[in-house]
Amino acid sequence: MTSPAPAAEPLLSEQRSPVVPGRTPIARRLGASMPTWPLIATKHLELRKRRGLMITVAVMIIGPTVLVMGLRLAFHLFDPAHNGPAGDPSVFNAITNLTAEFGFIVAAVVGAAAGTTDLNDGVFRYLVITGRSRLALYLARIPAGLAVLIPALAVAFTMLCLVTAYEAVPQPTTVSMNSGISIPANFDQAQLQTWLRQHPAEAGEAFEPSPGSGSGGSTKVGPGVQTSVPKIAAAFSDYTSAEDSEFNPAPNEMFKIGLWLALEIGIGFLVGLGLGSLTGQRTLSTILLIGLEIIVTPILARVQIPYFLNGQRLDVGVAMDQLRPAALAPATGGGPGPGGLLFGGRGALEIPPMATWAMISVIVGWIVVWSVIGAWRMMTRDA
Amino acid sequence: MNAIHVLGLAPLAAVRNVPPGAGFHLGPGLILLVLLVLGGIGFGVSRMRGGRSSKQHDDEWGRREQPPPATTPVLSSPATPATRSVRADVGPTGDTSAPPARARRAVSFGQPAGGWAVETHGLTKRFGSNVAVNDVELRVPRGCAFGYLGPNGAGKTTLIRTLLGLTRANGGTTSLLGIPVPAERSRALAGVGAIVDEPRFHPHLTGRDNLRLLAAARGGDAARRIAPSLERVGLTERADHKVSSYSMGMRQRLGVASCLLGDPKLLILDEPMNGLDPAGMHQMREMIVSLADEGRTVMLSSHLLDEVERTCDAVAIVDRGRVIRQGPIDELIRAAGTASVQVDCADPARAARLIDEAGIAAGTSLTDAGLTVALPAAASRELIADINRRLVAAGISVYGLQEVRASLEDWFLSVTTRLGEQP
Repeated sequence: MTSPAPAAEPLLSEQRSPVVPGRTPIARRLGASMPTWPLIATKHLELRKRRGLMITVAVMIIGPTVLVMGLRLAFHLFDPAHNGPAGDPSVFNAITNLTAEFGFIVAAVVGAAAGTTDLNDGVFRYLVITGRSRLALYLARIPAGLAVLIPALAVAFTMLCLVTAYEAVPQPTTVSMNSGISIPANFDQAQLQTWLRQHPAEAGEAFEPSPGSGSGGSTKVGPGVQTSVPKIAAAFSDYTSAEDSEFNPAPNEMFKIGLWLALEIGIGFLVGLGLGSLTGQRTLSTILLIGLEIIVTPILARVQIPYFLNGQRLDVGVAMDQLRPAALAPATGGGPGPGGLLFGGRGALEIPPMATWAMISVIVGWIVVWSVIGAWRMMTRDA
Repeated sequence: MNAIHVLGLAPLAAVRNVPPGAGFHLGPGLILLVLLVLGGIGFGVSRMRGGRSSKQHDDEWGRREQPPPATTPVLSSPATPATRSVRADVGPTGDTSAPPARARRAVSFGQPAGGWAVETHGLTKRFGSNVAVNDVELRVPRGCAFGYLGPNGAGKTTLIRTLLGLTRANGGTTSLLGIPVPAERSRALAGVGAIVDEPRFHPHLTGRDNLRLLAAARGGDAARRIAPSLERVGLTERADHKVSSYSMGMRQRLGVASCLLGDPKLLILDEPMNGLDPAGMHQMREMIVSLADEGRTVMLSSHLLDEVERTCDAVAIVDRGRVIRQGPIDELIRAAGTASVQVDCADPARAARLIDEAGIAAGTSLTDAGLTVALPAAASRELIADINRRLVAAGISVYGLQEVRASLEDWFLSVTTRLGEQP
């Protein structure tokens, strides 16, 4: 330590701001519960400088895309005769689902870290001593943590979309339906109805009802056409399902899938943050949320428990599966219905569909409840 | 089902164009594999960090942190005889290289105009049946260095945590800089800097980044004070190194720098000398004195009597959660009335009789070291000259007179219950 400055030349007192009780602007600001930009930025810095955490984020969110798509690109480049183009709808769906699962887990890890780091490092009390509102300290962690996760997701998903869109197999111009009937691609429901009116014979064969297909029944689809054809809504559903399995998602569908992924990661982070703040233990919080994601949710999604169906629907993973974008759902494999099997059960295959308001209520409920719990514990904890 | 599916590695098969629907079932094996890889990475990173940890107790000059010298009186150590005399210009540690005692500031315990720097009434904090802070009445005057002195476990840190609103009190009232806490905690803490228990920082961040984080939380001009604060504590050159590589002394100094970010009127330092080597203690002492010289109030808790006596102007003695005494150190010692004079003369026995007959001293005693004359309370230095004159007039050769003042330690030992009960 160098010698302290002599009393005659105080380094700080020259810059000293007056502290007048009741009149200090700083003090008024300190009482505000909203986090300031510098507070968010420094909290982000604190998370970003954790090397192990950042490696985990990169490996689990960006890693699958880079690994699989990189190898596919390389294989196709060096041996195009035996390896098709890297972009493929099934690969897109597989990587997206993998990113969703790993993304939730790593978001929970980051959330738990954000919620416990200050406590574990003993810095929390020094942040409290600054006089800053504890609520502001908590709220600052949310944008700071999301600023770590969302860019990583954006990089991975953009890479996936670009490869899928520009390094894809040639897109078919027709959709193959039952009995080998081909219908031109990219129809909306009105265009499909028009086509069915114009091709009544093909329509009957293409949408021949089959048990459990959901497209049974017939209707009169237009004046002068009395051929048995399926209900147009059910027919359009079958048409889009067939289209999704053969075509790359349209740009707007990719955008929706990206938002869904961001929501999945956001939920994982907020739940991890709340649970971490509640327990104060990063490892425990992480283990609990991994257990929720790879054990509890698949069980609740796959097994209908008598008299507990609505309880099962309260699982955020089940609700998120039901919210899964249509363009993503069918290609995950594993059976009919929305979603698909993931980790042996994700996809809500056995759960009857939830109403939209119910899905949104469950998702918002998880976000709000865990955020309130985390903030409450932060505000009442002994520092 | 092949081995790939059994291991749950089906996604990897996608790279070889396995037919759709057959290659995308994800099993727990993949999850475990990824978690194992991540665990390995994390372990490797922690090992890399651990490789540097052996240095963390070295200071910037490559020296190992030394424990406080054994001669430093600590309250938790076995009691030293309360009757021993200590030379005032040497200090109770016997450290002859220590500087002479500085002149203390005059401290008034009358009601100040702007309120006390710290004031508590009936402050009580319990942990279950254990009363850590017991009905504490504390008043810290502004603009002085104030010692909160007590043995380990006396409730010093708990009191500080309660003052700062880090934990809720069970009873009583508190104000900092005249502002009630916790009612207006944010406003009060805007003018306070504190180190509680020990300075703690994010070890993976640099010293400067840690200060940035605290400055962002504090707001206002705090960010502009990072550089001067680091300079003030002599950490500018190491500011961009990770805190994990800092010695304990450097962390203490960084803690002081973090206190200065808010340009505080009141600094509360909890055991600031902990873990410092003698040079570090000296520098910390100088820093505390200079902070008080700037008009700031510095309240420091300690169990090191010597440090408090050298550093502070006033003191409160706490034992078992209660404040036993408080006031200016000089007054408290003077009130103890234990000053004496060590007389080195040709005939100590005759000199003792002469002084006793004159009735000018509180008492005399003969020891192997010679004659000790106990001075009455509030005796002036003129009395020492008078003793000298009388001995010389009686034909007794006087070789030396050494005034011995009681130390804070002597006074403390006489008033605290814990050490007073020991033989």
